[in-house]
Amino acid sequence: MTDTVKKRNWFQRLFAVRGMGQVITVFFGLIVLCLVFYLINPNFLSQRNVANLLRQIAPYLIIGIGQGYVLITGNIDLSIGSVIGMSTMISATLMTRGMDPWVATLVTMVPCLLTGLLNGFLVSACKLPPFIGTLGTMTIARGVAQLVNGNMNTDAIGRGAEGWRDFLYYGRTLGIYNTFWIALVIWLIFNFLLSRTRTGRHVYAIGSNVEASKLSGVNVNLTTIKAYLISAFCAGVVGLITCAQAGMGAMDAGTGYELFAVAASVIGGISTLGGQGILLGTVMGASVWGAMYNGLSLVGAPVAWRNIVVGIIVVLSVLIDVLVRSGTFNKARIRAMFSKKI
Amino acid sequence: MKKLVALFLTLALALTGVAALAEEFTVYLITMDLMDQHWVNVDAGAKAAVEELGKEGIKVNYVWDAPTQGKNDAAQIESINNAYANNAQAILLASNGPDTQVATIEQYAKEGVKFIYVDSPANTEAFQTLATDNKAAGQLAGETMLNKLTEMGVAEGNIGIVNVNSSTTSTQLREEGFRAAFEGTKFEILETQYGEGQVAASQTIAENYITQGVVGIFGANEGSTTGTGNAIKESGKDVVGVGFDQSDAILQLVDEGALLATMAQNPYVMGYQGVLSAVSVLQGKEIVGDKNYDTGVTVVDKAHIAENGLLAK
Repeated sequence: MTDTVKKRNWFQRLFAVRGMGQVITVFFGLIVLCLVFYLINPNFLSQRNVANLLRQIAPYLIIGIGQGYVLITGNIDLSIGSVIGMSTMISATLMTRGMDPWVATLVTMVPCLLTGLLNGFLVSACKLPPFIGTLGTMTIARGVAQLVNGNMNTDAIGRGAEGWRDFLYYGRTLGIYNTFWIALVIWLIFNFLLSRTRTGRHVYAIGSNVEASKLSGVNVNLTTIKAYLISAFCAGVVGLITCAQAGMGAMDAGTGYELFAVAASVIGGISTLGGQGILLGTVMGASVWGAMYNGLSLVGAPVAWRNIVVGIIVVLSVLIDVLVRSGTFNKARIRAMFSKKI
Repeated sequence: MKKLVALFLTLALALTGVAALAEEFTVYLITMDLMDQHWVNVDAGAKAAVEELGKEGIKVNYVWDAPTQGKNDAAQIESINNAYANNAQAILLASNGPDTQVATIEQYAKEGVKFIYVDSPANTEAFQTLATDNKAAGQLAGETMLNKLTEMGVAEGNIGIVNVNSSTTSTQLREEGFRAAFEGTKFEILETQYGEGQVAASQTIAENYITQGVVGIFGANEGSTTGTGNAIKESGKDVVGVGFDQSDAILQLVDEGALLATMAQNPYVMGYQGVLSAVSVLQGKEIVGDKNYDTGVTVVDKAHIAENGLLAK
């Protein structure tokens, strides 16, 4: 038996990881996508644009991680975009009132995490459907974003915040923009948490079968709250990045981002039905999403086409997920299909 | 399925006839969005200049880009990032806000990208600003409304303003000019409401003003004006509506009498002169025209539409 284990090469071991199949498929899809863009406009793979692209992907990846956790538990977080707006507005307002950017960062994370806590509480303890519960917090958080500076976008956060802005958006480390490194660190931490710890296994368990996990002693409420906290944390970080990018707070920042996060997750193979997918998939999903908007812009595609193409890709990805799960694309069935012909 | 996706993408792109060729100069136009008629006219002017330069043997690789999801600071910064990544040598920019784009502009200006502002400048140095003198145009709008009210025998009452948001310089200046026109009169101008330039939101705001019993409403941009005109038309009340920008919908509203007049800017001139200046700077020469180029406005009322056959087309 040990012999057979040893015989498996790295490639087989890679495929043995659950959910890796979809990730690899999407990876090849991404390469094809990049090649198409490159052939139309060689600048797509220029050093300038690769640096640019990595920075554009980063926010999608970060919120995709948060939404990924929530989706794997079988829920959804619609409040992500509003939490981004709230985070941007609170941090910018504090800085325009003279608070040190780093202190403002810490203060900003408190209401963001509280939103996550509230989401988790509403969905788990209060048994609210996640769509409704987080729709409520989505509206509340957007309201807070509008309230903090008296229903006005903030002024510029000023020269004092330049170091902070460089740290989050404008600066580079080893030639790559810091935003990318921040996303990478967050990914490493949460990927470890999801794939190597008991909390991670619980996240999968409640997404696959709530009743069974309850019976096996998993604390469903606590695990759900943890997932929503992670999602809110990620949204809070993206809000700070958005603030650093614009150098001011805009009340409508992050609008629609919750759906970008769903897209990044789903394209990468995280099922909206719960219990399935890995965060490496989110990397692929976010990359496809970012590469698509960047590439379509670089090749000069008309705006209507951009949204249509992106929309079709999302629908196709979800469709494939549903078909695979319902067994339409079952391996055995496909094999049977071919064997009949032979 | 990925093959399908790739095939679809290739098809979609081929259909749109996109081809990036190596050209002599790469000039980008980056606007606030890609949908307003106003930006379409800036683009038309820029294209005309590119064509003329082409006849003189100067090749310009011209690209128009903007956020795809409507006005958004972060998305416009990404448009500038993409332009830089695509080796833009000059960028004609309609800045979303006075401050948000500054860090990005300064970063790329340092690396040699030439910036020229069209319509809305940002708070940092550029080679040229081609824009409407928004304050003067706003004042003209105010005077147009005041004259009509006086003519109607109305000497006092409330007036509402539908603006875009508090951070867009151009529309803020228009409002300032508009308010200035009413100084020393008995009219009271209500607190400004913001509709983010969206027709539906602006219409709701205008409806609320009408319910409050205003005698006049001012729309500060295309979306605000369309919303205002729709609301006045629906109410059937004798409210004087004056707005900004020119689109088929607005012309229709003016022609029907729902709006008294609209201040038509000259976006075509912005795009046309902007490209000429950009190419001139890239050739190492001076800009074309003044550093602060006032592109002016035209008061478009019912008579003007009839005289110029604007709706006949």
